[in-house]
Amino acid sequence: MGLILREKAEHLGTFRWLGVFLMETLARWVPTTPEMEVKVLMGRHIWDAAQHADALGKRTFELRAPLHYTLAPLSPYVEFLKDIASVDDTSGRVQAVYDVLLPALSARYQEYLKGSDSLLDEPSFRVLHGILNDYARMRQESDALREELKGTLAFDLGRAEEWRRKEAEFGEVVPRGSGATLAAGAHA
Amino acid sequence: MNITAKRKTVQGIQLCADPAREACFHVAQNDNEMQVFEDNMSEAARRERLHRHMNNEMGALEIAAQCLADFPDAPWDLRMQLARQASDESRHVAGLYRRLRQLGGRKGEFPIGNFEWAVTNMCDTLAARLAIQNRTFEAGQMDLLGALRKIWRSVGDEATAEVLEHILADEVNHVRFANRWIRTMVQEDRRLLLKVAGAIRFLAETNAALSAGLGGAPSDTPKKHAELGINVEDRRHADFSDDEINEILRQAGMSTLVGAEGRP
Repeated sequence: MGLILREKAEHLGTFRWLGVFLMETLARWVPTTPEMEVKVLMGRHIWDAAQHADALGKRTFELRAPLHYTLAPLSPYVEFLKDIASVDDTSGRVQAVYDVLLPALSARYQEYLKGSDSLLDEPSFRVLHGILNDYARMRQESDALREELKGTLAFDLGRAEEWRRKEAEFGEVVPRGSGATLAAGAHA
Repeated sequence: MNITAKRKTVQGIQLCADPAREACFHVAQNDNEMQVFEDNMSEAARRERLHRHMNNEMGALEIAAQCLADFPDAPWDLRMQLARQASDESRHVAGLYRRLRQLGGRKGEFPIGNFEWAVTNMCDTLAARLAIQNRTFEAGQMDLLGALRKIWRSVGDEATAEVLEHILADEVNHVRFANRWIRTMVQEDRRLLLKVAGAIRFLAETNAALSAGLGGAPSDTPKKHAELGINVEDRRHADFSDDEINEILRQAGMSTLVGAEGRP
């Protein structure tokens, strides 16, 4: 059986939290990353992440949740995210976002789409399809940057693979309420 | 440790330590370390202008991004504006870098300074940072760009003038949202006025102290305004009131431009 309305709001509220997390992580990295081209890439993608969070927050309101309803994922997943957001070398930061987070979030958003109804929940589909398209563009822009900085940045492929493996071990990351109300701890 | 908690001392004044830069850049702490040219539109001088401007835009990107990192509880609509600003400033860096390379320049060719970052991030409220960075530095940038685009055109460099036109249009939006949000935040909490006033005083004192030293502060000053003029039209677009524009004209020694009815 697919998701019920409340669960859809919880998923989208959690996806919004992830969008804000991405925005804030990139924002924190911009002044502490030396390479100018990487600052530029991250600076542009701050705005992408903000727009995603904004669209998701407006959609939660349409699903009878508060405007900009934001729900933190289950705490082990939050700890995982904080862990990879603490990386302080440029190559690791690029990998964390473009090789690990964006593909992982894309897979989770695709999973939501599989569990929802493209007719009844069409506005959510439009929001998520927009985000998925943007993520694909953002990764292409990251690839172009790596080509430009070839010889400057060295990437530890094993580290990215380990992060991907850890992320994949998490099953469901969206907190669920227990009844007709939204999950505890939710706030606008 | 948050990057804005780190400090440096310049001529006895405590400022926020520099943001990260690549090793190819020499980061100047005083204006006298910056490169100046007798012919200020020679080929090298043109590259230096673009290089300096590129780094200033990088600083503006960093300041907007740091505001997002430091003030997670700010109103969402304001955070959206800051996120957009970060993206705009990124495009400005990229556009200026592209033009610099077209003119034969490169990253790190000239010294750079991070004065705006160093002063703005000494403020502990978002309203004060907006007052310093957007309402003061970026508004000053509007004045400079208003004149500079004409100077580049006068030497036949339409491509650079066009880059500056686009940057100017974006800066008007950044100054306008700051003006509007500062008003809103101050109406909601009058104590913020003291923070904003304190920040402006700190900027003025820092400018004066550094100017009294060997080189002076690499910021926009009333003297520079007097040289290049006030961009009255764009300051109006950016929601400055007539009274505020008149005050800026007076500070720049242009009182005669203030009309009899107080309209510049």
